[in-house]
Amino acid sequence: MITMAKARKQRKTFTIDDREIPFKEGETVMQAAAKAKIYIPHLCFNPEFTPNGSCKLCTCEINGRKTSSCSTKAEQGMQVKNETHELTMMRRTLVQMLFVEGNHYCPFCERSGNCQLQALAYDLGMTDLHFPRFNAKRNVDASHPDIMIDRNRCIFCELCVRASTEVDKKDIFSIAGRSINKRLVINSKSGDLKDTEMKATDKSAHICPVGCIIIKGEGFKTPIGQRIYDKHSIRDVGNIRPDSFIEEPSQTEVEKPVEQKKKIKVASCSLAGCFGCHMSFLDLDERIIELLEQVELSRSPLNDIKSCAPDCDLGLIEGGVCNTENIEVLRHFRESCRIIIAVGSCAINGGVPSLRNSIDVKACLDESYINGIGVVNPKIPTDKEIPYLLEKVYPIHEVIKVDYFLPGCPPSADAFWKILNDLLDGKEPELPYDLLHFD
Amino acid sequence: MNKALAALIHEQVKGCRTNKAYLLQILRKIQFSCAHIPADAIEQLSAEFKISPPKIMALIEFYHFIHYQPRGHYDIYISDSIIDHMSGKNEITRYLCEKLNVKLNQPREDGLVTVADTSCTGMSDQGPAALVNGLALTRLTPKRIDQIVEKIETNTALKDWPKAWFDVEDNIQSKGVLLNAEMQPGEAVKKALAADPLNSLAEIDKSGLRGCGGAGFKTALKWKSCRLSSDHDRYVVCNADEGEPGTFKDRVLLNSYAEQLIEGMTICAYIIGACKGFIYLRYEYQHLYEQLNEALHKRREANLLGSHILDGELSFDIEIFMGAGSYVCGEESALIESLEGKRAIPRIRPPFPVTRGYLGKPTVVNNVETFCYAALVIDKGADNFSAQGLSGFSGCKILSISGDVEKAGLYEIPLGLPVKNVLNLCGAKSVQAVQVGGPSGTLITPSEFNRIISFDDLNTSGSFMVFNQDRDLLENALNFTHFFMKESCGFCTPCRVGTKLICDLADKVAAGQGARLDLDSIKQLNHVMNKMSHCGLGQRAAEPLLQTLEKFPEYFVKRMTDKDYQPSFNVEESIQRAIDIVVIQDNQKG
Repeated sequence: MITMAKARKQRKTFTIDDREIPFKEGETVMQAAAKAKIYIPHLCFNPEFTPNGSCKLCTCEINGRKTSSCSTKAEQGMQVKNETHELTMMRRTLVQMLFVEGNHYCPFCERSGNCQLQALAYDLGMTDLHFPRFNAKRNVDASHPDIMIDRNRCIFCELCVRASTEVDKKDIFSIAGRSINKRLVINSKSGDLKDTEMKATDKSAHICPVGCIIIKGEGFKTPIGQRIYDKHSIRDVGNIRPDSFIEEPSQTEVEKPVEQKKKIKVASCSLAGCFGCHMSFLDLDERIIELLEQVELSRSPLNDIKSCAPDCDLGLIEGGVCNTENIEVLRHFRESCRIIIAVGSCAINGGVPSLRNSIDVKACLDESYINGIGVVNPKIPTDKEIPYLLEKVYPIHEVIKVDYFLPGCPPSADAFWKILNDLLDGKEPELPYDLLHFD
Repeated sequence: MNKALAALIHEQVKGCRTNKAYLLQILRKIQFSCAHIPADAIEQLSAEFKISPPKIMALIEFYHFIHYQPRGHYDIYISDSIIDHMSGKNEITRYLCEKLNVKLNQPREDGLVTVADTSCTGMSDQGPAALVNGLALTRLTPKRIDQIVEKIETNTALKDWPKAWFDVEDNIQSKGVLLNAEMQPGEAVKKALAADPLNSLAEIDKSGLRGCGGAGFKTALKWKSCRLSSDHDRYVVCNADEGEPGTFKDRVLLNSYAEQLIEGMTICAYIIGACKGFIYLRYEYQHLYEQLNEALHKRREANLLGSHILDGELSFDIEIFMGAGSYVCGEESALIESLEGKRAIPRIRPPFPVTRGYLGKPTVVNNVETFCYAALVIDKGADNFSAQGLSGFSGCKILSISGDVEKAGLYEIPLGLPVKNVLNLCGAKSVQAVQVGGPSGTLITPSEFNRIISFDDLNTSGSFMVFNQDRDLLENALNFTHFFMKESCGFCTPCRVGTKLICDLADKVAAGQGARLDLDSIKQLNHVMNKMSHCGLGQRAAEPLLQTLEKFPEYFVKRMTDKDYQPSFNVEESIQRAIDIVVIQDNQKG
């Protein structure tokens, strides 16, 4: 007879962040962690398929060495560190790398709120891209009647490749190119998805963790704001897709704003944006009155003052940088304001205006002023009062130093409230999960 | 498709019995015969191998020297290593392009010629170097360029070009225990086969021999692990994909010591129990292919290779596989993928090749030099080898020395020798820095010249590049950084995206636009790439920039702005271009 003590002795275990985790011979650290309900961030791992080990987000410190936990077999006595400040920072950098590599525009991506890349960014507290954007220009395949592929959103997790070979037995996807020219290709003679056996019911059509492979005709079935990761952290619910998600009732409490103390000078402007962020700011409603006791508004579209006071404390910038005037305004703000906050998606990653980044600026101008439908007296305007269009639309952190980032499209009034109050209290601004949104 | 090509493909496919591992070899042949892989060839291969055309195209795209877009009839690649730069690579390239009236990387309109850059071709002792249709050209001068251009413009076949143009010198400057050894072909194999394989293994173990490709893993331990694996179908692979910029010692060994190499591989086969071996020869060493094949042939004739070697029980043969241009193939598991005819993506390790290698079977992969030393150890004894080392280290190491030295070339030195002694040997004066182990190695300053060449201190695959006081070391860092970006296989996030970000930062600093926050970004990226990348390439890719920053900050300081932050692009130029687009059209109208 095996006593309990003996059984415990025989049970193989290792530790994750000092917690003892049982495992079976042959299991990876990731698998054992999942069973023990410990979340290790990941994108290319999925328990149904052979590990790929390419995204590197699941890197943990295993016996002192940083190693992918999806491809490392658990061993007796192994010591794994998962939640350390260093790993969180490194993982955040990895997510930022993926964000600048592709074109990840959350506000108008169908997967927003259900996207695992976005969810990890939230979880890791990412508010900005940090690095310059690559402005990817990859082909979109809309040839298939039921499925669309936007390669600009591909993160090379190869889950579709594996699902198609391992489950669907169709071998529809492969990876081509190398280095930064790597890309997803379709294994048909034409290279188009329509010329494959792919069906909307295939596993590979329902595996993409981001918005690269999308089923047509289902857009925005669940409104933005009510999707999985809008309400739940990826560490609580895991890497899931809407099709496999069953909602459990949850309560989140909005943090009560703290009392404000001292009065500060705030300026704001909108560059290449839609003024939506400013509208959202106005949604503070009666709280604006409260705020004005602490805040003096300098240059802003709200009061039509045209120039910043030279000693502004805070500058809120909405919109990306699309023309020469934007650069001028941005520099003026940087010179005048002690702290600059990039507000909203366009300021943080270029947003809607930067959709033109894959098109030559001359072609844009020609289309608008010369070749476009209904153009009379075709001529690109040259009046010096009209700002000149830059070749690309840039997030503002590529043009000036930005101190803080307030993401969202637009950021909610509560998010404005939180970040402003943090600053008024002399704290590092920090957004709680329910206020951190990219859409 | 022309009939000759169809016939060539058919014959090749039949020759390999539609073994997919040979697809890359066939693609190389088609590239040579058609200057690209035509669409109908891809289609035929697709039908024969039952692989979809996009997959074949993905394979083609992975390797530098095969293309589905037509190249020129004369396909010229100029070696882009920093050492080639120091011997005038840029001037030579400009002159060649001007003479031929071509733009870099674009075939000339008549389809006669293409000129492009390529990573180090392994001729740092005799640069500037190039490849024409896979064959090495060395010591290029404007005069030689004139002659080459003349041959190209008159469409003279390569076989009718003067033989001397393709001469590759050995440049052995200092011989040690291996380069000096007089070994009779077959002697070491005879000795090994006369006793139990365990005797040979014990001898290798006793010698302390460690892998010479850079990692320095104990050779006996690797061979023993393979021997102990449960699967009895085992392979020996020689890594002759010498891609680390600045190294060329394997080229010389393959040229003049091929017998020792084959001997070493045969002994390895005997020890681990393998019956098949491969030499994975880098594309750039095409000029060695025929003579290597000839050496193998001779050994078969002498009953030193093939079935029942020396009428004993060992049956073992070797086949040469040609690479198609990819630095990452130097990583053993990527090399195996390439041997299997795939894109060379490094595998997840463990399992290591000794348990699951070629076709999933136990495989020993060793560098050319390691096999040569193994043969030497068996022939002359372990003690003879281990007695060579200094300060407690066993044996010798062959260095490929290049750069600002009197005599570039091969130096076989005892392990444990300080850098300053190496510098004396090769006649280096007013040295500013040495890059030991290539771009992925270590940059050392004169204050570190007491450090020693060994597995514990300065570990090197053999590359030893010397830079004098006149060199701008940021140029090196730029060259190395771009090299890594071009060679990244793109598999993992930190390397794929990180190498590009690091290049952009390096370029920004070089353009005088760097700011303090950029230096923080370099450090941050290095940390992530170093700790999180899938293989050594990504792990080391940010090191050249970081090491230069740490050891020679002056090269940064003199270019940096005195600012914390600088935009990611040149804003003033961008504004000017924005204005130009509108104004130019206005002027044209006016």
